[in-house]
Amino acid sequence: MDKDELVEYFRTQVRQDPEVPSAVAAIRTLLEFLKRDQTGETILGLRENLTQTIRRLEEADSSVAVSSGGELFLRFISLTSLEHPDLSQCKKVMVERGELFLKKISLSRSKVAKLCHTFIKDGAKILTHSSSRVVLKVLESAAADKKRFTVYVTESQPDSAGRQMADKLQNLNIPVTVVLDAAVGYIMEKVDLVIVGAEGVVESGGIINKIGTYQLAVCSKAHNKPFYVVAESFKFVRLYPLNQQDVPERFKYKADTLKAVEDLAEEHPMIDYTPPSLITLLFTDLGVLTPSAVSDELIKLYL
Amino acid sequence: MPGADKEADLTERIEAFLADLKRGGCGTGPIRGSGETARETTALLRKVTAQARWSSAGDLMEIIRKEGRRMTAAQPSETTVGNMVLRVLKIIREEYARSRGSSEETDQQESLHKLLTSGGLSDENFRQHYVHLKANVIEAINELLTELEGTTDNIAMQALEHIHSNEVIMTVGRSRTVEAFLKDAARKRKFHVIVAECAPFCQGHEMATNLSKASIETTVIADAAIFAVMSRVNKVIIGTQTVLANGGLRAVNGTHTVALAARHHSTPLIVCAPMFKLSPQVVITTVVRNRIILSKVNVHCPVFDYVPPELITLFISNIGGNAPSYIYRLMSELYHPEDHDL
Repeated sequence: MDKDELVEYFRTQVRQDPEVPSAVAAIRTLLEFLKRDQTGETILGLRENLTQTIRRLEEADSSVAVSSGGELFLRFISLTSLEHPDLSQCKKVMVERGELFLKKISLSRSKVAKLCHTFIKDGAKILTHSSSRVVLKVLESAAADKKRFTVYVTESQPDSAGRQMADKLQNLNIPVTVVLDAAVGYIMEKVDLVIVGAEGVVESGGIINKIGTYQLAVCSKAHNKPFYVVAESFKFVRLYPLNQQDVPERFKYKADTLKAVEDLAEEHPMIDYTPPSLITLLFTDLGVLTPSAVSDELIKLYL
Repeated sequence: MPGADKEADLTERIEAFLADLKRGGCGTGPIRGSGETARETTALLRKVTAQARWSSAGDLMEIIRKEGRRMTAAQPSETTVGNMVLRVLKIIREEYARSRGSSEETDQQESLHKLLTSGGLSDENFRQHYVHLKANVIEAINELLTELEGTTDNIAMQALEHIHSNEVIMTVGRSRTVEAFLKDAARKRKFHVIVAECAPFCQGHEMATNLSKASIETTVIADAAIFAVMSRVNKVIIGTQTVLANGGLRAVNGTHTVALAARHHSTPLIVCAPMFKLSPQVVITTVVRNRIILSKVNVHCPVFDYVPPELITLFISNIGGNAPSYIYRLMSELYHPEDHDL
């Protein structure tokens, strides 16, 4: 399976099912590659092929989620190969376990929604940022639980993703208002809690998310409002940024921008980093975690 | 028939306990301390294990869960009852896994590692029957009871590390744990204690009397004076009703005031709480008692305060000192995640 076929398969996955998280689509693509790969004779060779494939996928979609999905898959290969040193046996087990893993993580959004919706009380005013499918699922389950609440969504330029979120919420009959990104400070005194999604959760317990999230977090801290993050566990990534500049450039901009533009200093970054001190709680399919618990999870997996 | 008699006796004991719980919630605070409640609950659960009819671990867990739900419904604000039920459920799971001879139960929590490496969706339904399971579970519950009996002493033993000579310590209301803690330090050190009286039940007065009987210099202050006096205080040591999963507290009303005043003056806030007070809840519902003192005025009197984890410096429990950010880890060792909602 050559590299272009791979990228095509990935893009088809995303096109066919717009609800699928990009990390899951990446893992499915890698699993498909594993099934079809005939060239590898050793596990080391397999790993090298996979690393190159992941790099190719990252060139197609530069989001943090694809990177975390890819690293998780590599780790998965390493752990399985430790138990079964024989390649063909190893491959069989890997494919089985891969399918099982995919099945489990398809349930993660519902698990997160189940945990989080109890924190939304009747009459709550919620502020969210840009468009997140996990946040949508959480609000959907809260609405299904017959809770009454109103939502404010930031418009989230430059792609106005917030408006799409507002449309989806209106379809669920939830009262929603779109606010300007600049109006976050203005609206903060009215809201009761802030819920955002995350593209990646870093080792320190902070998150990487659409640009504007950091601003939102600082404002909510200043007003003493709880700032909740909802994210599935496959978004945990092995980065430890200390400030905004530490986030690698390959995540900050869209894949096409990275290829086309020479001087990135002129471009607007698409994501920012929110430090763990501003986050109250993280809702993941592994449970309700405090930011300090996130690094524990990553250590358990990677070390 | 002796069997039926024992069962009647058991139900009677449970009913008496439930009635006690219901009564204990109103008036001037609980009739019994939470330590006693924890011990009684565990002893009752041991009786249930010994006398109820069950053939597999799954049945026993169902019975315990049912009793647990009844007990927590009797007095929802007394979280130690629920905590002990969860401890016993975890004990049953562990003993069951040990009987099966599986070693993979060392990490029962969901984790990324487990997601990647586990062979199949675990549908553990606890249906297998093991002969020695009953004896093992009862022995483990006995160990738990021994641990419960020693908690106050274990906490008090750590007092000398934290209290130094000529220090001024502030505390709020009445906590048996803090009382034992201070009395233990007083055997070797001389220090001064300021007790906030904690209106309207004014349990601080009783605390001050007990402390002064142990020859500790004590001063009682009104709640309104907490901020004013805080600048002279070296440490604040408080007890709590419950420790929440995020490291926050659910403590007697007035504690949040003390915590904020301590944060303002950068005074360390130490919480003495035994492990059985650790609850997997994060959300709390306020408990309110209404007292009508004049005919047309309604007095709103919340019984508990929520103290966020950022205001707390250290937790001293029977297993040592811990930071609030570590509480989630301790919780995962004590309770199993599937039992969190009884």
